[in-house]
Amino acid sequence: MAARAQLQAWYRHRRERWLVRRDRGDSGAATGITLTPRRVYILPTRPGLGFAVLLLLMLIGALNYNLGLGFALTFFTGACAVADMFLTTRNLVALKLTAGRAAPVFAGEQAQFEVQLHNPTRRDRFAIVIGFDDDASWKSAASAAVSPPPPHPTDVAAGATSAVVLSAPAPARGWLAAPRIRLATSFPLGLFRAWSYWKPARPKLELAILVYPAPETPAPPLPSHGAASEDGHGAVGLDNFAGIRPYQQGDPMRHLAWRQIARHDPALGGQLVTKQFDGGAVAELALDFAELPAHLGLELRLSRMTQWVLQAELRALPYSLRLGAASYGPALGDAHRAACLSALALYEGPA
Amino acid sequence: MKPAVFDRLQQLPREKSDTLLLLVAALMVLVPHFGHLPLWNSLAVCAILLWRAVLTWRGRRMPSIRVLLPVSVASMAGVYASYGTVVGRDPGVAMLALLLAFKLLEMRARRDLFVVVFLALFVLLTNFFYSQSMPTALFMVATLIVLLTALQTFQYTGVVPPLGQRLKLSARLFALAAPLAVLIFIVFPRIQGPLWGMPGDAAGRTGLSDSMAPGTLSSLAQSEEVAFRVRFTGSQPPQHQLYWRSIVLGAYDGSTWTRVPRLRGVQRPDIAIALRGAPVRQEITMEPSGQRWLAVLELGGPQVAMPGYGVRDSDEMEYFTTTPVNRRARYSVTSYTDYALQANAQPPSLVRWLELPAGFNPRTLALARQLRQDSPQQDGAGLSRQVLDKFRREAFSYTLQPPLGGRDLVDDFLFTSRAGFCEHYAGAYVVLMRAMGVPARVVTGYQGGERNPVDGYLTVRQSDAHAWAEIWLPGRGWLRVDPTAAVAPERVTRNLARALPAPVGFNPLFALQNDPDSWLAAFRFRYAALNNAWNQYVLDYNPERQRSFLAELGGLLLTWRTALAALLVAGLLALWQWRRQRRAADPLEVLYDAFCRRQARHGDPRQPDEGPAAYAARLRTRPASAEQHAAADRFLLLYGTLKYAAPDTESRTASLATLKTLLPLCR
Repeated sequence: MAARAQLQAWYRHRRERWLVRRDRGDSGAATGITLTPRRVYILPTRPGLGFAVLLLLMLIGALNYNLGLGFALTFFTGACAVADMFLTTRNLVALKLTAGRAAPVFAGEQAQFEVQLHNPTRRDRFAIVIGFDDDASWKSAASAAVSPPPPHPTDVAAGATSAVVLSAPAPARGWLAAPRIRLATSFPLGLFRAWSYWKPARPKLELAILVYPAPETPAPPLPSHGAASEDGHGAVGLDNFAGIRPYQQGDPMRHLAWRQIARHDPALGGQLVTKQFDGGAVAELALDFAELPAHLGLELRLSRMTQWVLQAELRALPYSLRLGAASYGPALGDAHRAACLSALALYEGPA
Repeated sequence: MKPAVFDRLQQLPREKSDTLLLLVAALMVLVPHFGHLPLWNSLAVCAILLWRAVLTWRGRRMPSIRVLLPVSVASMAGVYASYGTVVGRDPGVAMLALLLAFKLLEMRARRDLFVVVFLALFVLLTNFFYSQSMPTALFMVATLIVLLTALQTFQYTGVVPPLGQRLKLSARLFALAAPLAVLIFIVFPRIQGPLWGMPGDAAGRTGLSDSMAPGTLSSLAQSEEVAFRVRFTGSQPPQHQLYWRSIVLGAYDGSTWTRVPRLRGVQRPDIAIALRGAPVRQEITMEPSGQRWLAVLELGGPQVAMPGYGVRDSDEMEYFTTTPVNRRARYSVTSYTDYALQANAQPPSLVRWLELPAGFNPRTLALARQLRQDSPQQDGAGLSRQVLDKFRREAFSYTLQPPLGGRDLVDDFLFTSRAGFCEHYAGAYVVLMRAMGVPARVVTGYQGGERNPVDGYLTVRQSDAHAWAEIWLPGRGWLRVDPTAAVAPERVTRNLARALPAPVGFNPLFALQNDPDSWLAAFRFRYAALNNAWNQYVLDYNPERQRSFLAELGGLLLTWRTALAALLVAGLLALWQWRRQRRAADPLEVLYDAFCRRQARHGDPRQPDEGPAAYAARLRTRPASAEQHAAADRFLLLYGTLKYAAPDTESRTASLATLKTLLPLCR
């Protein structure tokens, strides 16, 4: 058992090394990739191996009973398997893969990668299975012809393009390049399985998704201080008292609702509460990364900023973002939001 | 099929229609077997398929193992009851047919689909135990394509094209496979089977046996089965000399002629044979007879070449193999139609050929005595002539359905019925000759045969089975005498069908078929020639044939002419492929590619992210003459318009022409 596990580990290691070397060979390629015969691999499926046994049995039968037509049938069936091998390979060859649209996601969500399969030839292609090349998703599909169809079977008609959306978890902010993609098919007879890989060569341009920091939930209210407007009066969002809510780290001390706190003895389960304010006559909101307490940690601060950006957008408050040396806005709208969130996603920390 | 049903068929959900197609394929595989399976077995198989079809159609669940198990065990028992065994070829086929049907009822996972298809392919192969004719082969091809279609149908994951297209794809796959299959068929090393014994598998074949009782040959003569085919390497002897000698019968017990056993312990005497005249070379392809006897044109020379078998001969000039001939076999032999056999044998050694059973056929013996007394010449030739004259003169008739005789068969034939087949004439003649003291024996074999003008092969059928006689005359040896020829000379000069009187209920087609000038006969000859070629080159492609064929092929390929022709064909194919690819591409893109290649040669390849406008802007900054700049600008502008503005066909054609003229002007 141990030997088997060792063997498997060794195989996985070798395979990974080979694949990485192969991927490197692709770099420098233009946008997308065309599957040439050299990059399509093929092996018999389990039924294909069974077919080989059948051929042997048929040959023995023909031999023993000296059946001329038995030989003919055996050879024809065998040649059909060879033709199947050819057609299975051809089902992938000349297919062109390009990256489709890639919408940014927040960390912790599923990134949706769109892959476009373009078929420039005059023959339809059927039953192509596409997915990320991590063993788990293919395990059930290892003999796709037998087990239930894997998650993404697709057809590509002659001269047409079909798009497949593959999802992968996006655990951390920043650029998320798509994992290596695997395409496989065992059409038309299911005796052979042809497959190929695609690892886009330029991860920031092709098949990559920008992952924004996860918005902090629950997050403290939008900052109310330090956003003095130019004419000098008031602070943003302090005009109307809106109520109280539980204290959260980072809330300014002067917003603590002392009267409420005094009523509930913390020793008896009372908790700190903060006054919450609403509205605001002042036109803009300044979100300054440097203002957040440093002890919170980089990622948490980025998460909070992300939440604040979203909040500001939600409430249609024009806001500006200062992140290190860079500064965005003040403005409002999708482009501004995207610029701010991108900056947060790619922030490298104080230089 | 009613249109409503047809409509419903087309609207069936995917799973159902896939399964029905698989059922059709299985039925196609099984139908040819119904001819030799026991009736109950065929009915059971049909019932199971029907059951499955109804379940599929109605969308019901498949029967549980508790129902299936007893039914399948019962049918296995049925096979045992029908054949008395479950091993061997025929019971094995019956089992496989049932297994295939039951597997269809027990198909749950997709893996089972492959099991069903593989099983069906094997059952398809077993069909060749029973028939290997050309129609069978064609039907097998059709079945194979439907099977492949069924397999393919289960592979679709999205769109499923209509059945016609799927069949076409399978047919294309088959066509793609054909050249390779033929190549493998030709070069795959053939081993002469069998790998293991086949008990009883060769039984039930028709052919001559080494005994002759009344009815033996006449029943054989009703079989149209081919006994053997002959190819003469030189010229073919005339029809009346085509006596194919197989077995010599000399021992008579009153009803049955059998071979004379070899005398034990006696040294085999030297047989004096004088062969004269031109040799006749034959290559004989013999159908499996399950026996050891070979047929050879009289009189065969000493050497019989038969690869794969040991061949012996006997004192009576019979040839036989050391093991029974259970498959089609080929042998070549040289014969001499002019010969003298044992011309100077001593009478004591001929005593064996004079023996008659005591107490049988008293009237015949009396007749013999009387013939001998009346005969002016006492020699064997004269006596023989008298007997043949008697056959010819008196009201003897030639028929396939002679009345049954009693205990004294020869008496009944000569004095009562006077109607018989060659076996009666030969037998009666030999008894008469022996009774008159002339050594005589019966020879069985075949006489005549039908020459196919298309390929020159002579086909000898079981209906050509014949019996004649040999008498020994001092100084001349054994001479062939055909008493039947005295009664029905056509039997010898033409063939059997012509010699027999028209059957009751005269069938014009029967006559037409036997008229060598009719169109039907011409068609029959053509078909027979094709069939023979099929037998010789496809069914009977054995190690020797393979060797000679490959040698011939090698010789053909090595000549410079063929090499040149092959090169030419390959070149044409490449050209065709190239043109096809060019035609497939968009002419606009072809021109644009050419333009980009031109620029790249000067060190300015188009960047992948550059459109025609950006490319034009960049090219404008590169060194070139004013004309070249202008041409490149116009080229790219026009290209951009054509590519992205989608003009109508007419202006598009004009613009393409402009692009073509602009291209050489660009740098």
